[in-house]
Amino acid sequence: MDYTSDSAGFRHRKLQSKGRMKDTAPDMSDPNQLFDDTSSGPARHRTQDMSSIGYPAQGLLSEPVSNFAMAYGSSLADHGKEMVDKNLARFIPISKLKYYFAVDTIYVAKKLGLLVFPYMHQNWEVSYQQDTPVAPRFDINAPDLYIPAMAFITYILVAGLAFGTQDRFSPEILGMQASSALVWLVIEVLAMLLSLYLLTVNTDLTTIDLIAFSGYKYVGMIVEVLAGLVFGRIGYYLMLLWCCVSIFVFMIRTLRLKILSESAAEGVLVRGAKNQLRMYLTMAIAAAQPIFMYWLTFHLIR
Amino acid sequence: MAFTLYSLIQTAILCVNAVAVLHEERFLSKIGWGADQGIGGFGDEPGIKAQLMNLIRSVRTVMRVPLIIVNSICIVLLLLFG
Repeated sequence: MDYTSDSAGFRHRKLQSKGRMKDTAPDMSDPNQLFDDTSSGPARHRTQDMSSIGYPAQGLLSEPVSNFAMAYGSSLADHGKEMVDKNLARFIPISKLKYYFAVDTIYVAKKLGLLVFPYMHQNWEVSYQQDTPVAPRFDINAPDLYIPAMAFITYILVAGLAFGTQDRFSPEILGMQASSALVWLVIEVLAMLLSLYLLTVNTDLTTIDLIAFSGYKYVGMIVEVLAGLVFGRIGYYLMLLWCCVSIFVFMIRTLRLKILSESAAEGVLVRGAKNQLRMYLTMAIAAAQPIFMYWLTFHLIR
Repeated sequence: MAFTLYSLIQTAILCVNAVAVLHEERFLSKIGWGADQGIGGFGDEPGIKAQLMNLIRSVRTVMRVPLIIVNSICIVLLLLFG
């Protein structure tokens, strides 16, 4: 994979355009790092900011009181920012979330291709590095949140487009579509969590993983609705069939390795109620995806 | 189907209320789902029924006080705004 060219250079240029002083080359050869090393950026930016504010203030109102007030105000803002960060980190694990957004263009392109055509892919295992899963940038089988988030937003926009072509559009409809899809996502993730708990499946699937897997079906939904808009109902139903089968195969092949026990996942027929239940669970999760895909899109095509 | 986040919250409150009103002595023990009847052995597989009983018992224990607060808020809001 080509790291040094576009993604690193793009981020480097973006950082420079934001005015940060960064003179070291981006470090891409270390798989432990999720993103480029910008640790020196914020501190330098803040001190540079404060000093740049200090100088014009001294020039404008050369009173020590206003200078002191300026410094006190900026220290208050820093303190507030720290408090917000600390409290936010307690509810939303920011560092864990960062892992799911460590993607690059090549990963996104390959993953999108895998979502609509999963039949040629052979190796579905997530590679690990010293007990921690490798970032999605380095492993195509790792789940990420970038594609589901973008696909969800694009689905809302495409739904608005579909409504607009049928003269049914109004801004409230967009909000209703968004909240409906979000509610179904929440229900689906809660149902998956409940069934995983009831079957005492010892897996390393986190909640965010489940959200990521549930969000992958929005890619298929976008393709379906666009095909329905361009080619009419026939195109919609054909694409629906194709995307439903692909997402079914994708989910089964991905979840089989995570939910089933090691020996069962390799294709050996392991008899036993536990493995049978787990297989049923995998199939139920995979079968729920096409149902949702149909349910959330059929009213968009007239 | 037009789902809003508010209807999701309503559904969640109703479901948790439904689980919380299951009485331990009068109902759950009668149908064999009591808390004392769940722990069979020390095998590594609790089974679905034991997990479900565990879940019901823990929901009832944990959500008792927050449910009082949430239900009171709901009652006041419904009285005020219909």
